[in-house]
Amino acid sequence: MEKGLEQNAVELDSVSTYYYGEKRPALRDVTLRIPVGSLALIVGPNGAGKTTLLETILGLLKPRSGRIKVLGYNIPAEASKARALSSYLPQDFMKPPIEPFTAREVVAMGLASSSFSGRLLESGWKKVDRALELLGMMDHADKPFGKLSGGQQQKVLLARAIVREPKLLLLDEPFSAIDLETRSYIVGEIFPGLLRGGCTILLVSHDLDYSSMDADLVIRVVDGRVSQVIMRDAHATH
Amino acid sequence: MLMLLISSIIGGVLAGGLCGVVGAICNRLKLTTMAFSMAHAALAGSALALALGADIISLAMLLAIVTAMILGPLADHLRIPIDLASMTLFSLYNALAFIFIISAPGPALMIESVGQLLWGSILAIRPTYIAYLLLASMIVLSLLIIFWGKISSILFDIRLAEAEGVNVKAYKYAMLVIAGMTVTLALRMTGGFLVFSLLYVPAAASLQLQANMKGIIAASWIFGSASASMGLLMSFLYDLPAGSCITIAALIILLAASAYSRLRASLAAGRRA
Repeated sequence: MEKGLEQNAVELDSVSTYYYGEKRPALRDVTLRIPVGSLALIVGPNGAGKTTLLETILGLLKPRSGRIKVLGYNIPAEASKARALSSYLPQDFMKPPIEPFTAREVVAMGLASSSFSGRLLESGWKKVDRALELLGMMDHADKPFGKLSGGQQQKVLLARAIVREPKLLLLDEPFSAIDLETRSYIVGEIFPGLLRGGCTILLVSHDLDYSSMDADLVIRVVDGRVSQVIMRDAHATH
Repeated sequence: MLMLLISSIIGGVLAGGLCGVVGAICNRLKLTTMAFSMAHAALAGSALALALGADIISLAMLLAIVTAMILGPLADHLRIPIDLASMTLFSLYNALAFIFIISAPGPALMIESVGQLLWGSILAIRPTYIAYLLLASMIVLSLLIIFWGKISSILFDIRLAEAEGVNVKAYKYAMLVIAGMTVTLALRMTGGFLVFSLLYVPAAASLQLQANMKGIIAASWIFGSASASMGLLMSFLYDLPAGSCITIAALIILLAASAYSRLRASLAAGRRA
């Protein structure tokens, strides 16, 4: 099948991932299909394996067994191609006050990562400013990233993820430092726009009330296994 | 004599600037201990060249680059952190350097080339050496200018850059090779034991004054150049070991930068009050 015409953005078949030196798998025998253009919510308690699942999907952690396809590319063999079309917002995002980059520079890095040399033209900088504007961070664009509050840093990194116009957006606890009003704006205004553009969103949360989100599927991870997958239609009948 | 002084200053400006930039980047990438083992690989390589009567720069650079390439696989093989692997190699290279120095023809520690190797000498600064430094500076500057977007992404967050498809491993290895090359070149001027003064003290000084990464790199370049040229001038005037003089000059600049930074902060606090 031609790349980009897949039905599923993410496919995992019997995937197990181990951390270095560990005998117990962090992910065990996970089989999962996430359709293109869907919003998938990954829930579960702390230490269940949600972050491991995201990092395995991106090929940052190499699976010991099983098969992974992301946007039509085999992971980990073609991970760099899949990553170039994806954006990732990590859980541990906080930087110290001495961080030597401004908010605008951090967002620009998102575009730089995808181009050959990483140099941005004027149109690139305009995109950067639009992404900052979208997240309400334009007034802080030239401030050092490390001097922003936790919520502001998280919004800048979300702007960095969005500016890449990803086909797959992986968000690990993206609202941990963000206030409720901004959270509603992101879920109600920004996510629908991305989904309409064909982006697939995987959102990890350990405490999010998923009934408040219009998720197409909810994946519950417990003890490294996918214990339950609820599709939107099935969810509506519950 | 005047020619020696002029070439010393030119060599100092180039080597110091190069070391300052590479040191600032290595420090940011947490490659400090790796640069440590590569510097001593270069020292062992130079000592081996001395013992064999071979070309010092070629052998030093070869050993430094080989070290950069084997560090990662060695750490994986021994199942230890890369810093620990680096310090293990550092011990090995020190041991080898002493053996090679003792094996060098003639009375060891008495010959000029051994002195150059251990504590540096302005006599090492010859036209070929300046040409090597110029070429290395041009390579480093060009890479920084062309690939700054990706390099800055790695400097900000290496894991995030990797998640966005940047070939982090290639950039990191390239950086290690550049660090190996820089250390090899600087070693002849500063000596094996003091080469770190030129790598990391200018970076520390620039962190006192600059809050932006581009500013930190530019300031490290300037402070490195100033440290090396001032040190070599001192060495020339007072007939002292070049490496020691460069280290003292670099530390004076660090103290001055720190004092200025504190003064600036207290003046700013005074204005706010």
